[in-house]
Amino acid sequence: MGTEVTATPRKRYNTNYLCRIPVSAAGKGDLTEPRQQQGTELSEAEAIERAKLGDAEAFQALYDKHKRRVYSLCLRMTANTAEAEDLAQEAFLQLYRKIATFRGESAFSTWLHRLSVNVVLMHLRKKSLPVVSLEETTQGTDEDSPKKDFGADDLALAGSIDRLQLQRAVDSLPPGYRTIFVLHDIEGYEHNEIAKIAGCSIGNSKSQLHKARMKLRDLLKMNRAEKAGKSRAG
Amino acid sequence: MDCVELQQSLAEVEDGSSVEQRAHLRGCQACSALVRELDLIVAAAGELRAADEPSPRVWNSIEIALRREGLIRSSRTGWPLVPSFRARWGAARWLVPAAAMLLVALGIYVRRESIPNQLAKQASVVTPAVSASDLDDADLMQEVAANAPAMKPQYEENLRWVNESIRDAQGAVDDSPNDEDARRSLMDAYQQKSMLFEMAMDRSLP
Repeated sequence: MGTEVTATPRKRYNTNYLCRIPVSAAGKGDLTEPRQQQGTELSEAEAIERAKLGDAEAFQALYDKHKRRVYSLCLRMTANTAEAEDLAQEAFLQLYRKIATFRGESAFSTWLHRLSVNVVLMHLRKKSLPVVSLEETTQGTDEDSPKKDFGADDLALAGSIDRLQLQRAVDSLPPGYRTIFVLHDIEGYEHNEIAKIAGCSIGNSKSQLHKARMKLRDLLKMNRAEKAGKSRAG
Repeated sequence: MDCVELQQSLAEVEDGSSVEQRAHLRGCQACSALVRELDLIVAAAGELRAADEPSPRVWNSIEIALRREGLIRSSRTGWPLVPSFRARWGAARWLVPAAAMLLVALGIYVRRESIPNQLAKQASVVTPAVSASDLDDADLMQEVAANAPAMKPQYEENLRWVNESIRDAQGAVDDSPNDEDARRSLMDAYQQKSMLFEMAMDRSLP
């Protein structure tokens, strides 16, 4: 990486202006109307070719198309908004620096996504956080041991799970569990892919995923029990 | 297969579909509930994909970095430009990015100099340059009002915010001249303003 990307300081000084300048002002041909209304929306292939030539609008078109997926991945894996924004920024910058080498052998989104995952995992490793727990399938703590669970009806998870509660529960997972859960259940990676990315065995990936799901189940049930208790008390 | 074995086996066969698992689940309500609940969690997980939107700061920072690295090279040739905008500015239109570059250079000066008190006073003395930028803002707004009145509020809002931030950051530098964060904030603010001028020049106006 030739140029250090400086994250904008946001703690002490008024940097709110950086959020106030709307995206529409930063790249659209018409500051008041989205490009789509002009009937000339760039296809991804067009945007990639124009980005290779340094076209600003093409860069932004690619960013707009993929920003949510990249940012959500970073946010779920770090559980930290500021870190997620910095990592998303870094992922896109790495992408743009390498875009000239993209030949279309794989889907662009796949390429970007894998790059984003690598950026996040590198970050986690630098923070000395366990990307994946090294425990093997047959080992585990007492907390992770299978339990006979005869939870009462009010502890049972109902027919649907609140998205916000699940988000919070995922954020509460230990980092190793969270990584596997995000990669497999949220982002759709298979265990053999996770094993390559995270440098673990397939068996370990499966084991960690199961434990992550069990932990989430416990967290969601606790949350539900707390709410039930509060409503009874109130 | 008992409950403990069933739960252990779910790591390998997640949906409880193996012969042994099915046999156990037929007779165990608790484990059946467990499998259903895990399925609910997996189903809900998919909704978290692409669920969040990054703040505009992310794109702004990316664009600044791309321009700094020279990765944004070409102006959009496909966009029609407003002839009258360039015609009216003529040679004077170069004053706009020149003024913006002056602002950025000012920010770099503030950032790079290790500013003892004497220099801190000098940094305050250069504040009149902000007045010069106000003049450029006025010129720019006049042209926007004349050529694209519908966009005037947008430009006004953007300029107001970025000028406010320049003033805030300048104040912070005046208070703490050796504060790296303050100088970086001031430089970022100037870069944002430069970006606004450049956007006005490069991007089309209807």
